[in-house]
Amino acid sequence: MKDNLNFLKDKARQVRGKVLEMTAAAGKGHLGGAFSCTEILVALYYGGILRLDASRPRWEGRDRFLLSKGHACEALYVILADLGFFPGGELENYNKPGCLLGGHPNRSIAGIEADTGSLGHGLGIGAGLALAAKMDQKDFKTVVLLSDGECCEGSVWEAAMFAAKHKLNNLIGIVDKNGLCVTDIIEDCVALDPLDKKWIACGWEVVEMDGHSFDDLLTAFERVPSDRPRMIIADTVKGKGVSFMEGNIAWHHGVPKGELLQQARKELEII
Amino acid sequence: MNIRMTSSDKDLRDAFFDELYAIARQDPRVILLTADMGAHSLGRFKKDLSRQYINVCVAEQNMISVAAGLALGGKKVFVYTIIPFATMRCFEQIKVDVCCMRLPVTVVGIGTGLTYGGDGPTHHGIQDIAVMRSLPEMTILNPCDAVITQAAARLAYEQQGPVYVRLERGRFPLIYGAGSADFSRGLHQIREGEDITLIATGNMVHRAVEAADILRKKFLSVRVVDVYRIKPLNTALLIKMMEGTKGVVTLEENCLTGGLGSAVSEVLCDSCKGIALKRLAIPDEHCFASGDREALQQLYQLDVSNIVHSIVRWFPQRAEHVFMEGKEDGFRH
Repeated sequence: MKDNLNFLKDKARQVRGKVLEMTAAAGKGHLGGAFSCTEILVALYYGGILRLDASRPRWEGRDRFLLSKGHACEALYVILADLGFFPGGELENYNKPGCLLGGHPNRSIAGIEADTGSLGHGLGIGAGLALAAKMDQKDFKTVVLLSDGECCEGSVWEAAMFAAKHKLNNLIGIVDKNGLCVTDIIEDCVALDPLDKKWIACGWEVVEMDGHSFDDLLTAFERVPSDRPRMIIADTVKGKGVSFMEGNIAWHHGVPKGELLQQARKELEII
Repeated sequence: MNIRMTSSDKDLRDAFFDELYAIARQDPRVILLTADMGAHSLGRFKKDLSRQYINVCVAEQNMISVAAGLALGGKKVFVYTIIPFATMRCFEQIKVDVCCMRLPVTVVGIGTGLTYGGDGPTHHGIQDIAVMRSLPEMTILNPCDAVITQAAARLAYEQQGPVYVRLERGRFPLIYGAGSADFSRGLHQIREGEDITLIATGNMVHRAVEAADILRKKFLSVRVVDVYRIKPLNTALLIKMMEGTKGVVTLEENCLTGGLGSAVSEVLCDSCKGIALKRLAIPDEHCFASGDREALQQLYQLDVSNIVHSIVRWFPQRAEHVFMEGKEDGFRH
C-alpha cells in the first residue's frame, strides 16, 4: 500500500511537471485548476479505479470519465499520453496550430469521452450515460469531475435531481473544491457552502475529504455503492504544488516565465 | 420510404408521435424525453413504452445533456417541449453536447410561430429558425401536413446526427399524397407558375397555396415551393426553382431576421442571381399583442388577403413584362 502511495505521489509530481512545461511552451493554459485536480486524476487513472484499455479507447465495457471542468485538460492529456491513448509527442504540440490537443478536450482525442469546456454540462451527460448503462444492464460506471465554481451553474442542480430520481448509483461525481473561480473567491460571490448539505438535499450520498490525499481519494472511490449517486467533495488548493501559485487567483490561467518558471520547476523537482 | 396512409384530420402532433411510437416499438434504443410537455398520442407511448419514456420535468438544459449522454450510450434520443424552451433555453447544450459531438438527438419543438397567440414572447417560436440555423451539424425539418410530419419522424430517426423538428399543433389540409413524395430533397414544388416563386415553410405553405390560387385569378402565375427542410437547404434545387420567374417571395410565420427569407436571400446573393426578393415575415419586434394565432397573423399581414395584397403591391414595380403582356388589369382593385 505504501509503495503504491509513493508511486501515485510520484506520478502526481510528474504530471504537474509536464503540465507546467506544456503550458510554458504554449504560452497558455490553466495551471491552477489542473494542479488542484492532479491527485484526483492520478487516483482515478493509476489507482485502479477506472476500468480502461488504452489499446481499445472505445471498448464498450470501459468506465466513462468526463472532465466537466474541461479547462483542466492539460493534466488529463498528460495522463492519457502516459497510458498510451495517444503518442506522448502530442504533448509538445499542445495548443499549437494544427495540434491534436487544444485548450479544451473533445472526442477526437482518444480517451476523451465528451466535448467539454463550457461548465455545467458534464453531470447531465454523465447522468445520461449512467442511465443508458442501467437500461442495458451494463456494469460500467461513469465518473464526472466538476469544479466548485461550476456548481454555480443551475444545470448542475437539474442533473443532480435527475440522477437522484433515477437512482444512478453507477454515477460518481467529484467536485474539485479549490474555493476560487476565475476572478474571485467563490464564497465572496455566492453562498456555495454548505455544499455537502446541498448535494445531500438533492438525494446524493456525499463524501467530503482531502482532495490531495490518495488515502482519502481511494477510500472514497472504492466505497461500496449505495442506492444513490455519490458525490465526492474534494477539498483542494488551486495551484497545488507550486508555492507561489497555491490559493492565488492570478494562476487560474497565468503562465510563469523567467525566474518564476525556474522556481516552479525546482519545486516540482523537474530540474 | 414506406409511408402509410394518414388522414388530413389528424393533429400533426399525433402524426409525428404515432409514427415515433411505431418506430420505438421496433427499436428499443429509441428514447423519448419530455420537459413536462404532453400530446394526445404521447399517452400511449408513456403507457406501452414506459422504459423508453422519461419526463425530466421543467429542466430543458438537463434534458439536452441527458439526451447527449444517452446517445453516447448508444441510444437514439428524441426530446420534446415548447419551441423557445426546446431551443433557446438550452441552446448551448444543443450546440456543445449534441452538435459538436454529432450525436443522434432529435429536438422536437411544438408551437411554431405565433401558435400560442396572446401568451406572448415567452411562448412564441419566431426566433428559433435563426438560432438553430447557425449550428453547422443541424438538420432542420419544418413539415406542413400530416403526411410529411409523419415522414419527418422517420427521417429524424434515420439521421445519424442532430435534427430539429418544428412541429405544428392542430389539423391542416393534406398537401402531399401518401407515398407520392420523395422527402429526401428538402423542398418540393407544389404549384406550377411562371411569374413569381412563392417560397414558404410549415403552416405558411397552406397560406401560400391559397394566395397562389387567388393571384392566378388576377392573372399572376405563382409557383409555390414548400421548403420542408430548412437546413441543409437544397441550394441547387432552390435556384432551379427560382430561375425563370421574375420575382421571389418568401413567406414564414417567423421573424425577418435569420429565418427562411434570410436563407433564401443568402442563396440569391451567393449565387449572383439577380432576382428580386420580397420577404413576408414578422417584423423585428417582440409580439405583446393579445389575440389568437389568426388574429396575430392578421396583425403581421400573414393572412391570405394581406399576403395577396403584399405581393400585388410589390410585384408590378419589378416585373415590367407583366404589363408588357397586358396583364395590368389584374392589379387594379
